[in-house]
Amino acid sequence: MTAIPQDTVLELENINKFFGGVHAVRDMSFNIRKGELAGLIGPNGAGKTTIFNLITGVYSPDNGYISFLGEDITNLKSFQVIRKGIARTFQNLRLFQRSSALENVMVAMQQHHRYSFLEGISHFGRWNRVEREVKQRSMDILDRVGLVERAHQAAGTLPYGMQRRLEIGRALALEPEFLLLDEPAAGMNPEEVFELNDLIQGIHEDFMLTILVIEHHMDVIMQICPHIICMNFGARIAEGDPDYIQGHPEVLKAYLGEEVEEE
Amino acid sequence: METLLQQTINGLSLGSVYALIAVGYSLVYSILLFSNFAHGGFLVIGGYICYFTLKSLGFNIWVAGLASLVGAGFSAVLTEKLAYKPIRERTNVTLYLLIASMGMSIVIENLFVIIAGGRFRALPAVIPTHPVHLFGVATTSAFDIISLLAAVVFLGALQLFLVKTKWGLAIRAAAYDLRIAGLMGVNVNLLISIVFFVAGLLAAVGGIFLSVRYTLYPQLGMITIKAFVAAVIGGLGSLPGAVVGSLILGLSEMLTAGFISSQLRDLVVFSLLIITLLVRPQGLFGKNISEKV
Amino acid sequence: MSGYTEGIIILLCINAIAAMGVSLLTGFTGIFSLGHAGYMAVGAYTTAILTVEYGVHYVPAILLGGAMAMVVAYVIGVPTLKLMGDYYAIASIGLGEAIRLILENWQSVTRGARGYPGIEGYTTLYVTLAFFAVMAFGMFNLIHSRFGRAFKACRDDYIAASLLGFNTARYRVLSLVISAFYCGVAGALLGGFLSFIQPIMFDMIKSTELTSVVVFGGLGSMSGTLIGASVITLVTELFRPISQYRMLIYGAILVIIMVLRPEGIMGQYELGPRLFRRLKDKFSSQKREPGEGRSSS
Repeated sequence: MTAIPQDTVLELENINKFFGGVHAVRDMSFNIRKGELAGLIGPNGAGKTTIFNLITGVYSPDNGYISFLGEDITNLKSFQVIRKGIARTFQNLRLFQRSSALENVMVAMQQHHRYSFLEGISHFGRWNRVEREVKQRSMDILDRVGLVERAHQAAGTLPYGMQRRLEIGRALALEPEFLLLDEPAAGMNPEEVFELNDLIQGIHEDFMLTILVIEHHMDVIMQICPHIICMNFGARIAEGDPDYIQGHPEVLKAYLGEEVEEE
Repeated sequence: METLLQQTINGLSLGSVYALIAVGYSLVYSILLFSNFAHGGFLVIGGYICYFTLKSLGFNIWVAGLASLVGAGFSAVLTEKLAYKPIRERTNVTLYLLIASMGMSIVIENLFVIIAGGRFRALPAVIPTHPVHLFGVATTSAFDIISLLAAVVFLGALQLFLVKTKWGLAIRAAAYDLRIAGLMGVNVNLLISIVFFVAGLLAAVGGIFLSVRYTLYPQLGMITIKAFVAAVIGGLGSLPGAVVGSLILGLSEMLTAGFISSQLRDLVVFSLLIITLLVRPQGLFGKNISEKV
Repeated sequence: MSGYTEGIIILLCINAIAAMGVSLLTGFTGIFSLGHAGYMAVGAYTTAILTVEYGVHYVPAILLGGAMAMVVAYVIGVPTLKLMGDYYAIASIGLGEAIRLILENWQSVTRGARGYPGIEGYTTLYVTLAFFAVMAFGMFNLIHSRFGRAFKACRDDYIAASLLGFNTARYRVLSLVISAFYCGVAGALLGGFLSFIQPIMFDMIKSTELTSVVVFGGLGSMSGTLIGASVITLVTELFRPISQYRMLIYGAILVIIMVLRPEGIMGQYELGPRLFRRLKDKFSSQKREPGEGRSSS
């Protein structure tokens, strides 16, 4: 094992995942250090979301090792991984559609603000204070992502860009150390992307988060991620800073395809 | 030894009747991905049509049988159009279909309570039930052999239909992905009607044999719970699974009744269900459908 | 108040208590169960045996009946609740029937299919109202707490819920166990009301009644459940002279509601000041921004 930097937050080592006969993730290894804003790119089907799913316990790797803050999380269940301090958003949005924006955030916020079952059924003791705290802090999060006016609107009826921001807000409410954003800019127009970049960089600083972003929008990744990992066919094909990645032949081949020889 | 053979044949015969019901139920499940709890209703409809055609109209078993199969088939299609189609067109929440099917099951059963009265009726003895001696080793009844044969014939016909005809192919495609089958040009509503017709038809065959075995009464449809169990054991959505599960169930019931106690046979059925769900919930032949995250 | 009216109110409260339990499980946690009459049976028989054979006072006996139902639910719930949707529904039918069959065949303890007579008539109007008040208080509080939100998260998207740190398996079991307690207490009260219980009283028809009450009132609305219980109980009494049509009407109600208005009477909204505000807004303001939809908070 090569020497791992002391401030490594996430470490993947030789992760492999098969779905039936498909080798979806091959020998993936990388480290993310504390406070980094890193990007994970690659063509569709490269295995990026599968990596997120492996980290967050949705799937178990067939072999390999994942550690978070030095702890082995390879085979932990999802809720256990999340409780260690990781939060994520989803490629296809998984908001609670029928609940309001505020409720969506409160559901996450309540993880760290609890009271006992007895207090829950009687509404005595800490219930009042904690509920108010959860509500207030959730409103603060909504404020941060610019959704305060829509707090009581059903999440499913929000405009698409706002739903994406709500999901980020919900993830923030988990008070995580490490945030995984899966295509946060999907379906956004250039103006929204610009605002999103601001938001991501803003929360990166204000909440002192380590962030790993999957994205297709190059204007997100190249602008805000100093550390980029590029995947194709389940394996890492390049890793480095934006300039390095932009000039890397394997990356260009993955996105643009090989040149066909004219006969 | 003789009891063992006897009970085995009984079990296979009972199992084959369950198979007719379970296969129809699994067929619907494979297409629409929900448990049609009203399936038992089709069985009862088949039984009553047969009874009344025989008794009141005085036809022979072949006409009565045909009437009952066709009648049950159409009732199934009607049920789908009235209760399920409006729901599945508006939402994809299968819970609503489940509850509606529960409701239809109650409606059908109680319609017969009101129309036909709750008493037990014996079908006129048109299906021979005399004892048959097998190779001098065991005695079984002609009825068991006939019901076994009937099941084989109908299930065989179903298999041919699924494998050799255009609609059969469409159904198999739809079992993989209904929406895509629709996009490929299959008339989805017609396909669903055909599936329900077939399911109703098969249930009616089962219903006729069960009415002979147990007499006919409105709550006979409750026996479909056992067919559900069989379908789950074999794997929801898998037709061969439904057959295998039914045979296992029929055998278990009869062997328990023969060697342990008749009271416990139902308990054995539910124990098998629980064990399957705990050990291998997708059943023997079912596949694990996992959601994409 | 006449004895007849008292009886109706008692039955209403009993049905409401059981329905609240089923509502928590099905409406709020999204677990469709068709075997809850089994838990009523466990509660009824436990309490009957405790009061008749062992002379236990009815209040602790009722609570123990509920507790016994909880224990049974926990034991069979933990392994089976990992099943989703239809699978659990079928399992619940099997479990409910299995409980009934065991009660019918365990003659030495339960006196079998002929039933258990001679139960003390401890279910008076005041006792029932007291139990109802306390249990309704607890239930409404529960759903307006972090637990309620957790149950709803498990219902709406269990994958998202687990990725928000919820141990969904644990919440599902909790929901089942609480619902079993409510059904157990309801069963125990029923025994004290009729002074006689029989396994056949707790069959799939009873389970379906409970589910239809919840569906009718609205999956996800506890006040809807209470409204549903009231309506169904009253309608049952009205239709008693033509009770053979009663079941037909039940079935038809289920189908009609699912086709026309699957969200039931109350949808997922609770009766309260928020709802009235919403309705007021809806009726008074004609112009609204497109895309504005309000939800229940």
